Amino acid sequence: MSYDDVEIEDMEWNNELQAYTYPCPCGDLFQITKEDLKLGEEIARCPSCSLYITVVYNVEDFLDKKSNKPIEPSKQQPITVA
Amino acid sequence: MEENEEGKIVKHEEEDEEGREQEIWSWGAGTDGQLGTGKLQDELLPQLLHLTSLSSAGPISFLACGGAHVLALTSGGKVLTWGRGTAGQLGHSDTVNSPHPKLVMSLNNYFITHVSAGWNHSGFVSDTGALFTCGDGTFGQLGHGDYRLHCYPVKVSFFASKHVEQIACGMRHSLVLLRGDEVYGFGSGKRGQLGIAKDKINLVSLPERSCGFEGVKIASITANGDHSAALSADGHLYTWGRGFGDTLSAKTPQHLPTSFCFTKIALGWNHALVLTGGEVFMFGGNHHGVLSNPDKMTPVKHSADSRADSRAVVLEKVPGLEGSRTLHIAAGAEHSAIVTENGVLKTWGWGEHGQLGLGNISDQTSPQEVSLSHKFRKEASLIEIYCGSGFTIAIRTSCRPSQAG
Ligand SMILES: [Zn+2]
Repeated sequence: MSYDDVEIEDMEWNNELQAYTYPCPCGDLFQITKEDLKLGEEIARCPSCSLYITVVYNVEDFLDKKSNKPIEPSKQQPITVA
Repeated sequence: MEENEEGKIVKHEEEDEEGREQEIWSWGAGTDGQLGTGKLQDELLPQLLHLTSLSSAGPISFLACGGAHVLALTSGGKVLTWGRGTAGQLGHSDTVNSPHPKLVMSLNNYFITHVSAGWNHSGFVSDTGALFTCGDGTFGQLGHGDYRLHCYPVKVSFFASKHVEQIACGMRHSLVLLRGDEVYGFGSGKRGQLGIAKDKINLVSLPERSCGFEGVKIASITANGDHSAALSADGHLYTWGRGFGDTLSAKTPQHLPTSFCFTKIALGWNHALVLTGGEVFMFGGNHHGVLSNPDKMTPVKHSADSRADSRAVVLEKVPGLEGSRTLHIAAGAEHSAIVTENGVLKTWGWGEHGQLGLGNISDQTSPQEVSLSHKFRKEASLIEIYCGSGFTIAIRTSCRPSQAG
């Protein structure tokens, strides 16, 4: 069973891992690469345990377009009260 | 050792005047050094820490365990930290892991009275009411008005003219309790965990006051995952942030309508434990930390609202704890631990990393006794229990058998 559903904008891009990540309750990180996302993969796994999450995203946002530039994760631009 | 007035060498005893001895045991996920064992591996059974850096710093009075790091507060107001340090959360002016406890040097001129560890950030409160934070600041959870990482504790200037009493660090947010009962939140507010407004909040990098506590005397605040909670001095419980189980998120603090008088609360990522009159109740959904076996549950509905309100929280009494009052409760991301008045330590929930300390990686739906090998008579020791995301630490303070003569 998927541990949680997490929207892509709630995941963080990790340069070292070259993957989008989200905290795993074991202490490690759920991870999914841009290549996985392009393929429509929805499952982000944790390398340290059996848990995984379902990533909620639009596959079109990650397909190679003419610009050939996948959108960056919402790099947490400061937005205060809406 | 030190020289006294007459120039003679005076040797200090390792134990304090009352002859108390302290043991620290850790188990569970350990690959970031969070167990303090010096080894980067999981431990399925409690490991006794043998650490000179700990004994020389004096007895530990309080622990805070985060995603994969630990802050240990000594009775002398010093702080030792260990575990994952890649975001600067250990406060050692670097971004590396430390498998052994190390003193936070930059806090040496302060007497620290309270600490809290989040997923990858840390908070420290001094006796003068100053707040310091360090670690991951991506979501504004350090409260400095920026989104940067800080690798040593930096004073939060927003509170410069205020007296901070407590800090509570969650996954991506922080709460602060001021003397005078104001509660503040900063960091990610996406799930309502800051409690600052009914509107949708994304990120807040400067503290903002949480609403709904006017005229309420707050005794303690707690945060974990995307959850926030506060206990009032007269035992009322307030929760906000991500909902538990099927309940909705709450953007402002919600009072739990019940006649119970709560003395403690511990938050996981999907469950919470509360202590009332020595009894432990739990609420949450169908996740690891929750006793999901319906046969074993004794649901006690404590919603004053008899309508089927999706906000209504159902408290469930934790089975298997009858006959002995519980003194301490703690919650990891997906596991739970308690200590009874008889000094019995029990754990349950998710066990994949050995965080239950039972010698295996099985999950448990009801509390199981953990054994720490006994050098002393059981009744002569006190145990306090703390949980990080995937690990557990117990502090046992033993009274030395009184010596003849
Ligand atoms: Zn994991």
